[in-house]
Amino acid sequence: MRWTSNARFLFLAPAVVWVLAFTVFPLGYSLYIAFLKIDSKTEITRERVPMFDEAGDPIMLANGKQRMRTIIHKEQINTTTFQGLKNFKRIFKDNQVATSVRITLTFILSSVSIELALGFLLAVLFNRHLAGRAAMRAVMILPIFATPLAAGYLFFTILYEEGGPLGFLGFPFLSDPDWALFSVIFVDIWQWTPFCFLVFLAALQSVPDELYEAAVVDGANGWQMLRMVLLPILQNTIVIVLLLRLAEALKVFDIPFALTGGGPGIATQSYSFLAFRTGIRFFDLGYASALCYGLLITVMIIIMLTFRRLRETYG
Amino acid sequence: MAEMAARPVGERGFGESLLWLVAICVTLAFFFPFYWAISQGLRNPIDTFTVSGLGVPWLSFDPTLDNWITQLSSPESRRALANSTIVSVGASVLALALGTPAAYALARFRFRRVPNIDITIWFLSQRILPPVATVIPFYLVMRAFGLLDTQLALILVNATFVLPFAVVILRQTFLDLPLELEEAVLVDGGTYRTAFMRVALPLAAPSIAATALISFAFSWNEFLFAITLSSRDSLTIPVFIAGSVDTRGVQFWFMAVRALIAMVPPVLIALLAQRYIVRGLTLGAVKG
Repeated sequence: MRWTSNARFLFLAPAVVWVLAFTVFPLGYSLYIAFLKIDSKTEITRERVPMFDEAGDPIMLANGKQRMRTIIHKEQINTTTFQGLKNFKRIFKDNQVATSVRITLTFILSSVSIELALGFLLAVLFNRHLAGRAAMRAVMILPIFATPLAAGYLFFTILYEEGGPLGFLGFPFLSDPDWALFSVIFVDIWQWTPFCFLVFLAALQSVPDELYEAAVVDGANGWQMLRMVLLPILQNTIVIVLLLRLAEALKVFDIPFALTGGGPGIATQSYSFLAFRTGIRFFDLGYASALCYGLLITVMIIIMLTFRRLRETYG
Repeated sequence: MAEMAARPVGERGFGESLLWLVAICVTLAFFFPFYWAISQGLRNPIDTFTVSGLGVPWLSFDPTLDNWITQLSSPESRRALANSTIVSVGASVLALALGTPAAYALARFRFRRVPNIDITIWFLSQRILPPVATVIPFYLVMRAFGLLDTQLALILVNATFVLPFAVVILRQTFLDLPLELEEAVLVDGGTYRTAFMRVALPLAAPSIAATALISFAFSWNEFLFAITLSSRDSLTIPVFIAGSVDTRGVQFWFMAVRALIAMVPPVLIALLAQRYIVRGLTLGAVKG
């Protein structure tokens, strides 16, 4: 980071301009939409026009009048009215929003905490000489990159209550509201525990064996080893993994879309899912934009709270 | 707990064998969904629910490749595969073309008004933003430009999503490269462009390739924008899967095959780019 030539702007500018055009501008536009009420209606007008034959002459009827036909014009008319903060106020009165916030929070808290804990345990378990460890680690990478939507449908077949491989357990995995949320969390855990595991394992392996040996020589038991050696080593990594998982979990959409379709009822309709439905399915664009801003502000707060930590980690 | 790590390989007690067994079981559990998809995809529709237990091909039922043949020969799924490939390749190439120079700028130059690290975190935060926040404006803009249901729209969107990833990751890559070679070029009267193109790029090539692969996988898996912006012509694989459920109900045997068709490319990529996965997914914070 020592060169100061003006060439630096040429290198950086394209990416910055791109982000301004494709992220910052849409976000601004979205804020503008959030203050509007957009009504789309299709206006149909009929027009009578004379008909012509192949030579271009008007076709005459027996009574001497021109033969006419009707052309139907369809025109989509969007009327927008500025309505101030009304969309934002509506958020707080909307029961669906309250439900989806509760669902999303339950989802985030349970999936992220389990993923981190399980990933940590697995990393400690794998941080030793295990025969075939490289192969096992390779298998653990697979879920992370499995198309989330396809994973959702795949688990639909696995959690299928009659005849699925887990059917013998007799649980209403998809038909009961609470179980359905559990199932969504379950799939997320399957997909993302390996991520936590891989990252923690990488962090553990960057520590020389001598450190563990020294702790053993000093007579540390398992618990002390965890508290005095492993957790301090992994502290920064844990914070980064937590941040990335939180940000990702807040967006959860694909898995409930495929696994439960947000149902039964709206029992697994996450916040992103609700915003998507409101905007793209029901075309309530203004309100959906306001909903999105709620999510955006939450994420911005998370980024701001962790800003100093991010600077240290990436600096 | 970790004292075993210190012991030589040959010296294993009972506890160690038990832990090894646990590790194997955990690995198998995480692999099970893939196995189940493979098993289901090989069954005749009639065997879907009648096969009990683990459904091992040949033992529990006579496997057939019919589902695979039907799926891979249908024009819809071929088109979806082609769309997904074009969109993902286009988005990765575009993101890298824009992102690599920016990453280089952040690694090698000093920006005065806004410190480099803050620009980096600005890019990083784009990656963390919830995509649903831009889905409505994107939809309206694409509609205004007549780009709905085109591959171009999806290329633009996915490039936008992977660009911050490429910038942050490649910045770290360039920071890890020795500065001396590039300085030598400059001392010899070369331009910054030469230093970048002739020296830094070739050295960073493996990492750039890995970044491209991971970007490809991210774009391949993207669903929210794909389903919003495409209706028929530009359907990608995930949208194709979702659409086939709506119209025909869930046909388990086809679903398994489709899920595998969707998953195989990104999963293979993950294996190819194994060494870079940890670094990539933590945006360079943890080196794998």
